Amino acid sequence: MDFRLGEKELALKEEIRKFAEAELPPDFVRNTVIDGEFQDFEFEISMSRKLARRGWLAMSWPQKYGGRDASLFEQTVYEMEIAYWGIPGAWMGISGIQWVGPCLMMVGTEEQREKYLPLIASGEKDGVWCTCYSEPNAGSDFANIRTRAVKDGDDYIVNGQKVWTSAAHRARWCWLAARTDSNAPKKHRGISILIVDMKSPGVTVNPILNYYGRHHFNEVFFDNVRVPASNLVGEENRGWYYLMQSLAFERRSLAPTTYGACKRILEDLARYAGQTEREGRLLSESPLVRAKLADLAIDLEALKMCAFQLAWRISLGQIPTYESSRNKVMSDELTKRVAMTGAEILGIYSQVDPDSRWAKLDGAIQGAYLGFPGQAIAAGTAEIEKSIVAQFRLGLPKSY
Amino acid sequence: MDFSFTEGQDMLRVSARDFLAKECPKAKVREMARDDRGYDPQLWDRMTELGWMGLVFPEEYGGMAGSFMDLVILMEEMGRNILPGPFFSTVALCALPLLEYGNSDQKTKFLPQIAKGEAIWTLALAESSGTCQASEVRLRAAPAGTDYVLKGHKLFVTDAHVADYVLAVGRTGGGESPEDGVTLFVVGARAPNVKMVAIPTIGGDRQFRVSFGEVTVPEDNILGKMGKGWDIVDFVLQRAAVLKCAEMSGACQAVLDMTSSYAKERIQFDRPIGSFQAIQHKLADMLIDAEAVQYLLYQAAWGINVGSPSRWQISAAKAKANEAYQRICIEGIAAHGAIGYTMDHDIGLYYRRVKAAQFAAGDTDWHREVIADGLGL
Repeated sequence: MDFRLGEKELALKEEIRKFAEAELPPDFVRNTVIDGEFQDFEFEISMSRKLARRGWLAMSWPQKYGGRDASLFEQTVYEMEIAYWGIPGAWMGISGIQWVGPCLMMVGTEEQREKYLPLIASGEKDGVWCTCYSEPNAGSDFANIRTRAVKDGDDYIVNGQKVWTSAAHRARWCWLAARTDSNAPKKHRGISILIVDMKSPGVTVNPILNYYGRHHFNEVFFDNVRVPASNLVGEENRGWYYLMQSLAFERRSLAPTTYGACKRILEDLARYAGQTEREGRLLSESPLVRAKLADLAIDLEALKMCAFQLAWRISLGQIPTYESSRNKVMSDELTKRVAMTGAEILGIYSQVDPDSRWAKLDGAIQGAYLGFPGQAIAAGTAEIEKSIVAQFRLGLPKSY
Repeated sequence: MDFSFTEGQDMLRVSARDFLAKECPKAKVREMARDDRGYDPQLWDRMTELGWMGLVFPEEYGGMAGSFMDLVILMEEMGRNILPGPFFSTVALCALPLLEYGNSDQKTKFLPQIAKGEAIWTLALAESSGTCQASEVRLRAAPAGTDYVLKGHKLFVTDAHVADYVLAVGRTGGGESPEDGVTLFVVGARAPNVKMVAIPTIGGDRQFRVSFGEVTVPEDNILGKMGKGWDIVDFVLQRAAVLKCAEMSGACQAVLDMTSSYAKERIQFDRPIGSFQAIQHKLADMLIDAEAVQYLLYQAAWGINVGSPSRWQISAAKAKANEAYQRICIEGIAAHGAIGYTMDHDIGLYYRRVKAAQFAAGDTDWHREVIADGLGL
């Protein structure tokens, strides 16, 4: 047993701090949960390039694909620190770094790996991905997708509608789940993953604004879109297993990023409480405020341990079954509590527009307040995640 | 980072779990709650034979030279099974400070007795407020020649009725801070003028008010330095918090396991209730709580194990365990339905022990304050 960070991780932490100080503009307002990604794409991609030049963007990938063979512990620390400093541009459209790359390394062809991985790792616009999973009738019941890919010579012809597609308006490539066998005995057995060039004729992207007016996700229509058969990922009709794996990758990185972002907010709240008087006394002297912030700190520490425990299991070559879901539930719950507790501490200022000069803590609390309900739904609702924990860890019978 | 235990530690866990399941079934736990002594001396002897009493003592004192982490593993299994008796009082509260702060005479005299299972010890710290603050230490220890005379009361002293020795936290002086002038004395539990009155508790454990009515203690019985006893109390509280947390962690896992098994067996509406999401999600929440406790516990224990304890990590673990153990019991009983509310079912044994565990070695608010200080508040 050893819970120390290694020398590499400690050095990396320090390097990222210096990077943040040197590379973020003086008037930089860090990312908040509500944004998910930056509104200013040019700035975001400029940061991606800088991260790429440091060899950080895809650090845990092999060198030949643009990575630097970093351990999953380094990757975890990197994700924590990126989120702590609010450095934009780390995900290449969310999907590229977090699951497209790792999935291609598991099941892609060598040709696919050589084509797409270095592009993602470069931090250039052509390496930005979106993921088309959800459909109007396939949310939590995801095996219900209707988008079809029908073989036609050396191509597939794709028709259908996707929804809640993050970053589709910026992505060059799409990681698409489509039905390739309508007669499969079970719904989830007829699904395949295809790589689609978003510039293909027949792809239409329409923005969907979230309830705060931000453009984060989209609906995407595929109208007779031709996709070369060589863009099939892995085996035909095995897509369900790849996308379950991709979701596990996505949920894995959620705990480190939530940890980093919430740690920063907690530190800022503690500082704010130490500088702000209410009713003639510093907030930091109020036993209630102290207890609330202490409780957040405790659960933040638990999340950190669970993030590293999952990284440790994967690093042993084991395939985690429920840990990613456990960590997702913990992450979403923590973000929500940071938003709630933060708002209690900010008091009446918690209603100020996060972009306004009146906003405290760069609007981070409002960002969390506005953002957490969305974060808690993406990549699996709490209900779905808890069912996974109950069934895969505790062996309870399937409930749906 | 490495979350794995050594092979020896895995073996210790399995053998402790098997031993306790066989030698200390729940019928024994119930019997001991009614027993005058509150523990089974024969079982105590068998635990001694396994080397558990002196697990962390060096061999020269009859110990097994085990690590603090070994002790954590053992106590997790004791908590899982609810082992009644004075192991925590003797080993966690007294043997550890004796080993760290005792002079060579004291160690040579007392530690082998403990390792051989011949002496039971307990710590007398809390007074009327029941907290573990230095300002609460009022037990007067007045010098009389080379002796000291102790006069006052201690409350919630565990297992005092079977103890051979009481480690009493007394006040020998004042100073700028309440931590100054605190001194620890080794007092024979059957010395004249040491009186005990039972404080009945809902947990079925044994706690007492111990009154010292002018009890004379020789200077040689001071543990550590005169007036510097709070350092020792601080040392004890940190380790005791982690070891109590280990017990609670084991208990959390036991309640989770029994609830999960019940959810698979209990049929309602022609289906196991574990197939209903309302029950599944409750169990998932319980699991998440239990694992959070475990990893916070192992982190805090590891710090002690490698000689760099973190007050912050210890408090995070104990505060979390205090809340999670209670929540897991309450949710577990709810999932069981009425059977969980009966004397016959084991889950109530765990629930009834929550309060004693929560207030041992720092309650939740006390630990939250440590965390708040660490945040710079």
